[in-house]
Amino acid sequence: MPVFKTPFNGYSIKFSPFYESRLAVATSQNFGILGNGRLHVIDLSPAPLGPAAPHQPITELIAYDTADGVYDVAWSESHDSLLVAAIADGSVKLYDVALPPASNPLRSLHEHTREVSSADYNPTRRDSFLTSSWDDTVKLWTVDRPASVRTFKEHAYCVYSAVWNPRHADVFASASGDCTLRVWDVREPGSTMIIPAHELEILACDWNKYDDCCISTASVDKSIKVWDVRSIRVPISVLNGHSYAVRKIKFSPHRQSLMMSCSYDMSVCLWDYMMEDALVARYDHHTEFVVGVDMSVLVEGLLASTGWDELAYVWQHGTDPRAP
Amino acid sequence: MESNPQPSANGPPPKPWERAGSSSGPAPFKPPSAGSTSDVVEASGTAKPGEIVSSSDRNATVNRNALARPVPSRPWEQNYGSSSNYGGYGSTMNYNSGYGSGISGMSGMSGMYGSSYGGTGGLYGGGMYGNNSMYRGGYGGGMYGSSGMYGGGMYNSGLGSQMGGIGMGMGGPYGGQDPNDPYGGPPSPPGFWISVLRVTQGVVNFFGRIAILIDQNTQAFHMFMSALLQLFDRSGLLYGELARFVLRILGVKTKPNKVHPQGPNGGPLHGPHGPHGPQNYIEGPRPAPSGGWDNVWENDTSK
Repeated sequence: MPVFKTPFNGYSIKFSPFYESRLAVATSQNFGILGNGRLHVIDLSPAPLGPAAPHQPITELIAYDTADGVYDVAWSESHDSLLVAAIADGSVKLYDVALPPASNPLRSLHEHTREVSSADYNPTRRDSFLTSSWDDTVKLWTVDRPASVRTFKEHAYCVYSAVWNPRHADVFASASGDCTLRVWDVREPGSTMIIPAHELEILACDWNKYDDCCISTASVDKSIKVWDVRSIRVPISVLNGHSYAVRKIKFSPHRQSLMMSCSYDMSVCLWDYMMEDALVARYDHHTEFVVGVDMSVLVEGLLASTGWDELAYVWQHGTDPRAP
Repeated sequence: MESNPQPSANGPPPKPWERAGSSSGPAPFKPPSAGSTSDVVEASGTAKPGEIVSSSDRNATVNRNALARPVPSRPWEQNYGSSSNYGGYGSTMNYNSGYGSGISGMSGMSGMYGSSYGGTGGLYGGGMYGNNSMYRGGYGGGMYGSSGMYGGGMYNSGLGSQMGGIGMGMGGPYGGQDPNDPYGGPPSPPGFWISVLRVTQGVVNFFGRIAILIDQNTQAFHMFMSALLQLFDRSGLLYGELARFVLRILGVKTKPNKVHPQGPNGGPLHGPHGPHGPQNYIEGPRPAPSGGWDNVWENDTSK
């Protein structure tokens, strides 16, 4: 299956919600500590006929250079060519792949005072996106305005991830280094729920796509926990199996209880939290920390990952990502 | 795949989960409001366009969180200015060991690598394997130390007055250092100071990111440190051997490390490969081919 070599260390990878063969990869030089960043938009070349699909090289559609590392990227849900990039210098940049390179970035929004760690586009209302930052805040932006609509400041430490609820246009969750997961409603002045989900920092969270009350968290304590927001005293499930901090977690868009995670133990894992033996698969194709994973919304079972080994992999679940 | 692009005007193709109903019972969320996001937020009265949260704002925010443990202050913010912020430091007061070793690491070296090493020293010294607050302490301390080094070095005030260096700095030309403060800052200092401040901010950023990365991945950092220590261990052996060699050249007889098997008469046992001394080769030296080692390689030009 295809591999794409990025010049910098990978930080995030996302499938386009419009084109099943298009992805965006966010990368940062020197492991994101010092230096520039680059945002790649890549295409899988058309699949050969037949189910085997042995060769599917990746071609780069375009790449955008940034003055600082790109920590995350999100595809717009309203325009097939629009991208939101979370930059380490605190800016949020909008790129339009359809426009000539000279007019990109379309917009550069400077409000965060520290590194922006995540970006997420509202999948239901499709006119707004969230960014979370090491300045402890989450900001809500709309595409048509040059300034943020609202700032959510309650977390006491870096907010690593803020993710929209896939069924409620006004609800989102944020995961922070203050060891809490918070659920917010954009119409409320403060958070509506505080879940002290882990003993150590929470690095990522994601909503179940088929159960709007179910959310999972990934933490430095090496575990993944699945929560029901109606009873937050105990998690529904605790998944152990990673040997280092879990960096990202993603629920499958196709199957209710399937999740994909990546970790500092250099592995990508697939989990079914409803099964007793929850670990469905483990992929060890990366040779460095894996920090970005995604599952295709349009093709069931198509997975992508990127890491500090400067490689982006796209493969079908069940096949070897490194197979030629 | 590219041959069937989806229509883009009306958004992406429907999500797989949109076709299925929600499987669990009623959600504790308010029903969604109609209208665009900005309208909805404005109607709720919570909109605050373009708000920039400075560090002092942030600390003044009432944290309604259910946290039991103290939250660390970040390496990039040094809240010397206001006393109300000092609480952040109070919570990390047990960082003394980390602080100390951070500084001592730095005093020996100069430049980024030196201070980076000092910082990690601080981390380790701070006892990151203890409970959380201890770990935080070490981390805060080490980082604090790394910028302390800067203050101290600049004013040549030595180790004793690291803290003083920082305090003084903030009163003076350091005013603009706080990266979270978009407005404040003293009247523009001379160009040299601007550049120094930029470098300082870069260094603070650098350490901030390293700190967060370490934060996110404490175990891997432990792995890295143990690998480093192992390396030092190995190099220690290497240097030990080197030193022994030099001493031997100088005529000082040192005892070999290995205990060699003794022969029946108490003398060294000569191996099957002849009297090559006490060395115990795993693969014994073979007799050199005729003509020495020159024609060992088949593509020898003299052949």
